[in-house]
Amino acid sequence: MTDVAAPVIAFRGVGVTYRKGPVWNRTEVPAVGAVDLEIAAGETLGLVGESGSGKTTLGRVALGLIRPSRGEFLIEGRPFDPAIRREGALSVVLQHPEWALNPRLRCGVSVAEPLTIRGDLDRQARRQRVASMLERVGLDPGFAERYPGDLSGGQRQRMAIARALITEPRFIVFDEAVSALDVSVQAQILNLIRELQAEHRFAAIFISHDLAATRYISHRIAVMLKGDIVEVAPARTFYDMPAHDYSRALYATIR
Amino acid sequence: MTAAVDIRDFVVAYETGGGAVFALDGIDLAIGAGETLGIVGESGSGKSTLGMAIGRLLAPNARIDAGDILVAGCSVTTSDDETVRRLRRERLGFVFQNPMSALDPTMRIGRQVALAMEGTPDTAAVERLLVRAGLDEPGRVARSFPHELSGGMAQRVVIALAIARNPQILIADEPTASLDASIRDRILDLLFAMRAETGASLVILSHDLRMIVHRCERVIVMYGGRIVEMGESQAVFGSPAHPYTRALIRAAAGNEAPGEQLDPIPGVPPVLRAPSADCAFAPRCAHAAERCRRERPAERAVGGSRVACHFAEEIMAASGTAREVAE
Repeated sequence: MTDVAAPVIAFRGVGVTYRKGPVWNRTEVPAVGAVDLEIAAGETLGLVGESGSGKTTLGRVALGLIRPSRGEFLIEGRPFDPAIRREGALSVVLQHPEWALNPRLRCGVSVAEPLTIRGDLDRQARRQRVASMLERVGLDPGFAERYPGDLSGGQRQRMAIARALITEPRFIVFDEAVSALDVSVQAQILNLIRELQAEHRFAAIFISHDLAATRYISHRIAVMLKGDIVEVAPARTFYDMPAHDYSRALYATIR
Repeated sequence: MTAAVDIRDFVVAYETGGGAVFALDGIDLAIGAGETLGIVGESGSGKSTLGMAIGRLLAPNARIDAGDILVAGCSVTTSDDETVRRLRRERLGFVFQNPMSALDPTMRIGRQVALAMEGTPDTAAVERLLVRAGLDEPGRVARSFPHELSGGMAQRVVIALAIARNPQILIADEPTASLDASIRDRILDLLFAMRAETGASLVILSHDLRMIVHRCERVIVMYGGRIVEMGESQAVFGSPAHPYTRALIRAAAGNEAPGEQLDPIPGVPPVLRAPSADCAFAPRCAHAAERCRRERPAERAVGGSRVACHFAEEIMAASGTAREVAE
């Protein structure tokens, strides 16, 4: 058992600089300044800001897809180790579920894939796990036999969430996970994420341009502007009056 | 207000392997010259079919069972192909969901834009149009193929194509659905700026009620191929009369109090095998009574809006305005 009080993930002075241009004329583009953040088990941190503010870059650091240029990124108190990905301790849910589901594979196969990669369960056990996971996300287990093309957008996003949760990850990044869905389906998926989090206690980053959805799902919200976090406050603040001018401008868009 | 588009008792069904599925079940609608009209509804409510029908762009398996659409007094359903092509070219502008499938992947942008414009425009004219659509490097964009552009840039090109001949009606079907969520507002800003500049009517189809109310003068709520509520945006959002409109507002994040649970609409939209003889929303409606399952609600005036619900007055009186419901 890990220490319950320790944050699941921690950014300590994390900065990311992209390099672009040919080797003889490299220019450095700062994407993220210096971010300090911690996220505890069972907590969702909302990350809002306009495009180019560094939200997605931070999400990629959290998934170990890019290394920070400065500072350190810790998972359960230890520096990021790629083996943790194979274990299925990290997951991601993206804007388009089509990106997570291979159109030529039956959904059940796609959902079971992270388990297959981990390789600790036999076929029968995997199949059972998929069936119970589908039930958890509100899909009939019979959907495992269908192809992604046979499902509606909301059903596909549930399927993508089932795949993200199948290994019981300790940390999940939701990158614009409800932005492509109908209003009513959005509400279903947001409620589903809340319920699953109450049950599995995963830590989460919810990246979105949509402050209304973000404040609904998050415990705390970090507002990013030009690579820096300008405000971190409890989600409740964003129902009332956030402090930073830029947060207020974002807030004004949903009134 | 003279009508730019006049839709009368319009019924459309799609022939499928499993029999006919009705997408539009008796639409009556006049779109005024220069107005901004938002059409909202879940996937499957029939809004795309309605938008496409205005330009006779329905899929080959679509069948028009009744009614007609007049664009500038000209019937879209009965005119010959050449007349409809001229109508599309000169009076209508379309902006579709996915810009990448709206552009020809084998042709440079500049040529596609030139084709959409009147006569044979020179490079400068093409670039001027691209600049109007908010593209900063018109020369580079004009020389590019669609795959060399980002989704947002490609959608700006599609908007440039749509306004190339100053159409009287712009129809945008979920114009931001396939775009990165963070640039959606800017594309909508452009679309509405172009509408204001050309004086065209803008019909925008979306499931985002908040955006529609924010940006359009008038809103139509569709369900099961019918218009269930229609009125001034502020009136419909401020005091919705149809239970479906209320359910849509309650389901959207942004109206809830802190800590409050969002209420998704239970069930799924119907698949209509025949024009509905009752209220199509009844199976998902909390207020449904026996009458709703027996009798098709007619569209009538309630408050300042037009509503198709037997119990609209009672529901409005019983539950107050949407803001009270939400807050």
